[in-house]
Amino acid sequence: MVPFIIEVLSVGLLVSAVLALFLDEVVYSVAALAGTFLFTTVIYALSGSIFAAVFQFAVSVGTLAILFLSGEMLGDKPVKKASSTKIGALIGGGIALSLPAIFLSVSSGAGVTVENSFGDALWNLRGMDVLFQAIVILAVAIGIAIVLYEKRKGVKA
Amino acid sequence: MDFVILALVMLAVGIYGLLTNRQLLKVFISVELIATAATLNFVMLAQNALGLGQAFLILAFATDTAVSGVILALLVVVSKKYGTSDIGKIMQLMQNKEEESEVDA
Repeated sequence: MVPFIIEVLSVGLLVSAVLALFLDEVVYSVAALAGTFLFTTVIYALSGSIFAAVFQFAVSVGTLAILFLSGEMLGDKPVKKASSTKIGALIGGGIALSLPAIFLSVSSGAGVTVENSFGDALWNLRGMDVLFQAIVILAVAIGIAIVLYEKRKGVKA
Repeated sequence: MDFVILALVMLAVGIYGLLTNRQLLKVFISVELIATAATLNFVMLAQNALGLGQAFLILAFATDTAVSGVILALLVVVSKKYGTSDIGKIMQLMQNKEEESEVDA
């Protein structure tokens, strides 16, 4: 039952991804991207990666909130609305793109299984990566603050 | 169901969008799709090595979030400076500005 649900979700994932890219109005694109993130979260959860699903949900909620705001503020309004024919073609294209993932396979079945708990893998095997990534994210946050501060300073001058 | 092919198709859709869209927000959405395609691969790894796969996945999320933050900051700055989010119009405005500065010189 679960593999069938994952197949349906993967079709939805690709359809929403295609809609997010090719819909004219930015707000509708962001709504379709929300669908993409939602399908990804459920696929992670059904695959047994619960921590990954929670992280994906948290990250996507933040991204979508900012995208809705900036889409409304910065997006150029389209001249005409998308026709139902175009939307139908996009949905059909998304379904067609998802067929290879359902019916073809390139992965070998004989994979090596490694038993590690999540905490053990994160802190003992990838501990240095976690520390360095914390430094990278701190640097990025400071960089973004500098870019936006310079912009504000430029407007005042 | 093969996650590798799904990730490949998502990557192809994202790259196509990145090359063809002229709206800055659509470019950002394309980058998000490419990042989603990359992280989807770790789901397959998580099926065989659950802890390690999820650890890699979370490290990939951190990188993805950092990239998103930088792109959004640049998007806001460029859109406010040039008054549009269309890449073609921004390029034209930049070209006009350069020509004006050459004429002044």
